[in-house]
Amino acid sequence: MELNRRDLLKKITTGTAAVAAGGAVSATALGGIVHAEEPAKAPAGAVGLLYDATRCIGCQSCVVACTKANGLEPDNRRDPLHQAPTDLNSRTKTIIKLYKPAKAGESFSYVKQQCMHCVDPACVAACMFGGLKKDAKSGIVTWTGKYCVGCRYCEIACPYHVPKFRWEGFNPEIVKCELCKERLAKGQEPACTSVCPRKAVIFGPRQQLLDEAKSRIAANPGKYYQDRVFGETEGGGTQVLYLAHVDFEELGLPALGEESVPQKYLKWQHRLYSYLIVPIGLYATLVGTISKNWKHHQEHAEIEEKNTGLRPQI
Amino acid sequence: MSKHQTIAEQLEAAGVSRRNFVQLCGMLMVSAPVGLALTSKKSVLQVAETIGKAKRPSVIWLHFQDCTGCSETLLRTSRPDVADLILNVISLDYHETLMAASGYQAEAALKQAVDENAGKFVLVVEGSIPTKDKGQYMKLAGKPAIDVLNEIGNKAAAVIAMGSCAAWGGVPSADPNPTGAQGVDSILTSKPVVNLPGCPTNPYNLLAVVLEYATMNRLPALDQYNRPKFAFDRLIHDHCPRRAHFDNGRFVKEFGDEGHRQGWCLYKMGCKGPVTHAACSTRHFNETPDVWPIGIGAPCVGCTEKDIAFRVPIFQTVEVHGVTPPDAYPLVNMPIGGVGITAAALAGAVVGGLGGAALMASKRLPESVPPSGKVESESKKSDKGVPVGD
Amino acid sequence: MKREAWERDVPVFDVPIWTRPFMALCGLGALGMLLVVYREIVGLGPASGMNDAYAWGIWKTFNTMVLTGLGSGGFAVGIAAWLFKRNNLHVVMRTALLTSLLAYLFGLAMLGVDVGRPWNFYWIAFPWHWNLHSPLLEVAVCMSVYATIPLLLENVPAGLEYAFEQWPRYQAPLKKVEKFLMAGYPWIISLAYVLPAMHQSSLGALMLLGGTRVSPLWQTPFLPLLYVWAAAFLGFACVSLTLLFAGLMWNRPFDIDVLNELNRLTVGLIWTWIVFRVIDLAVRGQIVAAFRADIYAVLFWAEMMLLLSAVMVLRGAINLENPRLMFLGQSLVAVGGMLYRFSPTTLAFQPRANAFYFPSAIESLISLGFIAIAVAIFIFLAKILAILPAPMRLWNAMETIKARKATAQKIPVRVGRGQFATGD
Repeated sequence: MELNRRDLLKKITTGTAAVAAGGAVSATALGGIVHAEEPAKAPAGAVGLLYDATRCIGCQSCVVACTKANGLEPDNRRDPLHQAPTDLNSRTKTIIKLYKPAKAGESFSYVKQQCMHCVDPACVAACMFGGLKKDAKSGIVTWTGKYCVGCRYCEIACPYHVPKFRWEGFNPEIVKCELCKERLAKGQEPACTSVCPRKAVIFGPRQQLLDEAKSRIAANPGKYYQDRVFGETEGGGTQVLYLAHVDFEELGLPALGEESVPQKYLKWQHRLYSYLIVPIGLYATLVGTISKNWKHHQEHAEIEEKNTGLRPQI
Repeated sequence: MSKHQTIAEQLEAAGVSRRNFVQLCGMLMVSAPVGLALTSKKSVLQVAETIGKAKRPSVIWLHFQDCTGCSETLLRTSRPDVADLILNVISLDYHETLMAASGYQAEAALKQAVDENAGKFVLVVEGSIPTKDKGQYMKLAGKPAIDVLNEIGNKAAAVIAMGSCAAWGGVPSADPNPTGAQGVDSILTSKPVVNLPGCPTNPYNLLAVVLEYATMNRLPALDQYNRPKFAFDRLIHDHCPRRAHFDNGRFVKEFGDEGHRQGWCLYKMGCKGPVTHAACSTRHFNETPDVWPIGIGAPCVGCTEKDIAFRVPIFQTVEVHGVTPPDAYPLVNMPIGGVGITAAALAGAVVGGLGGAALMASKRLPESVPPSGKVESESKKSDKGVPVGD
Repeated sequence: MKREAWERDVPVFDVPIWTRPFMALCGLGALGMLLVVYREIVGLGPASGMNDAYAWGIWKTFNTMVLTGLGSGGFAVGIAAWLFKRNNLHVVMRTALLTSLLAYLFGLAMLGVDVGRPWNFYWIAFPWHWNLHSPLLEVAVCMSVYATIPLLLENVPAGLEYAFEQWPRYQAPLKKVEKFLMAGYPWIISLAYVLPAMHQSSLGALMLLGGTRVSPLWQTPFLPLLYVWAAAFLGFACVSLTLLFAGLMWNRPFDIDVLNELNRLTVGLIWTWIVFRVIDLAVRGQIVAAFRADIYAVLFWAEMMLLLSAVMVLRGAINLENPRLMFLGQSLVAVGGMLYRFSPTTLAFQPRANAFYFPSAIESLISLGFIAIAVAIFIFLAKILAILPAPMRLWNAMETIKARKATAQKIPVRVGRGQFATGD
């Protein structure tokens, strides 16, 4: 293709104009996005749990009470006579596990596992149609079957491996702790905290629980692991807090930075797709270039059809 | 009572049939604590023979700040009817509750018993010793208890502190401890003292210690608090018949509720089992199964432990640490997932099949295409030329 | 002797439809369908090896995530031909498009089988219920739109051509359809390049949420970019392998120049991809992870070795103009690229200690069944529609046969391999 000065000039001006326009639009959009990327905060009425592993005696009253309060079938697959789940599953919304130290002389510890009700949950970010939602007032993360497709992306996304799927039968569900929201609505506390004999797990507003945890740490320096409460900032913060005398990672609580999972890993996805500016811009560019090539192509095809009598194949 | 006959002779003289005696030895074998040398005998007859040969050791029993409960518990060994037998197996030379003498006669009996058996008798102490204000809060025949203990205790071959009061102070030592009550071993510091705490302690604890001393001439293995390991090396919690209920979250919430009727765990009612060392959970009282506090539905109060009994409120729950959790708990990362043999075989077959097919295909592909000069119109970047399929 | 050049797309007219391999594929597909019914009845647990630690088995990760990468031929060849004006690739466009269509349709069908509550998929039609944060939503929406609109429309011309010949009565309305299609074609194909760029990269974004549970040898903020880049060279590999296989099975001549074009593009994409990946590893400080004595390092080196050797083999194949080497090279590309896209989802994903996953026999059979059906459909369509490229003489031969049939001359309907009437 020959490029004369006029064409060249036209190309340059359109090119510059496009870049300038694109740049301006992207800058405003980016500005808007960056502002929206501030870390999420716990809602004002955020409630949660504080679990103190040093007080837990492993009586599993909470496991039994949770099953009863949620109308679940006790998991007796491992031991026909006892409810003895090996992990959270579709029949178990909370569980007591045992950490056995590798070295003799080190402390063992129990750990109660259930949904952490994160401040910025990965499962909520992952769920396609909003089957998992975080309540704006209490911050409780709940699952609704109405919007759930059963894709199990929430299981992949959750860093604490909380959501569990019912693998048998038709009409499966995602099962996880929902802080007994029905009981809360009636003014009761969650089933697990109401039966704990040692008050190892307690319920309350998140801020209050944080203060309680910190006061326990201050009153017993050296008793708690690294003198800190897990969940204050980990993974953006959780509404279920942990105090323990052993390493949190040994209890199944992963080492997470201060950024929440969605914020840390989906930043660029948000930026690139914000207001669909990038895709639309890409589309416009492609249409512009390909239309020209297409026109040339069609012209040649017509010529060849005249010469050979063959219909063009697209 | 004649003092120099063997136990067998004495029993015969007392009209105890050999059958009854053998029965007793059988009971001792079974209900005596694990670890007692007697139980290494293979048969009851062997036990009977050993005991029969033993000379009756002289026992002097002193009461200080006590309730006599430990003596009472000794009398609650009812099968066979061996209240007298027990007193014949050991030569109980001084016991204020049981002996007939009193007053000056009793004092004389004590002196005689101590002098005749100096260095050979076993001193059993029941009750704590007040030490405040020169020990004036308990006097025996005008002498402060502390002096009595020192005088007699130093002449004993072995000292057994029966009951929590004698072992560490017991009830009298509860706050504010106005009398300065102390246990025997804090006063008789130079003598080997065997502590048998409990309120009361199980009578077979005493019997086992005494018999071991009488037949083997030694005291049983003791822990750091001088308590016999055969009874005090384990927690109530570790051998509790209601442990399964604890492990599975079945707790009594109120006396008389459904759980209480079902015999569920009393932890939430303040049971001190998790922090109390004693053998009550395996060896009950009154020779009747389930006659012990937890067995009848009352939470353990930790009566053997100095830091627990009469200090921690009965209904206050305790921490459970130092207890080895059972293996029934799931670990933090239990194994999940696996591979079946059909699945693995199928996957292997598929991969192998595809690989084989690819190999065969590649063999049949030509290594070159017919050579020729390149046709000009087929330049790579041309956009004009032959009507290619679009 | 003139070296044969592909100039036209011609159906495989000289091979019967019901061959043994074809029947075997149909049988495998039928078995897969039966097992799907079983899966719908008993649920996902008994029908697969998936568990709560590995909630995604091979259906989502292989059939949907990996095979649509392999099926990005339409995307890759299309961009090369229409944007970068590699005009000799136009002849293989239909092959690429059909492989893409089948890979996408069956990838989406597999997704439908994999999800536990597929009846709720209708929410996809209500944008105000979309969770815009979710990469999976982007994948679902974009893939569905792509497969049902631009990709399908791109494949329509082949069908139109067939319809023109078979049903001459409807030529007038068909011509209208064709005109409409041609008018909007640039708009359609531009969409067909933007949408795959979006969802192939979002497929990579899916495993971003795996966080540190995906081995650092794979986990990078550039995972989406590496995924779409891999889709591009996987697309070329798939098209090359299809062409080589078709040439082998149906005794078609090879157009070395077109194949070399594909090889060159593949090589260019791969070595730049490798360089980018290594730089990304270095910047993140994870080069040392490649030298640890664990399974992840082994996997990483397997991928790297497959792709590096692919580059070397393809370079040799281009220089030597050797179809066998091309086959080997493109197979290495396919395996290496698929391994790369598969690893972060399963092999290099360790949700917690003591967790393991292996597809169950039923799971593997269903996956294979879907692949078998897709391949069977491709073979079937290649035999009746003008999909595969061929030199002009084959087209002429086909036309000759048609003409002879039309004049009711007695010629054998079934023409043996390598035997066809040479055109005049």
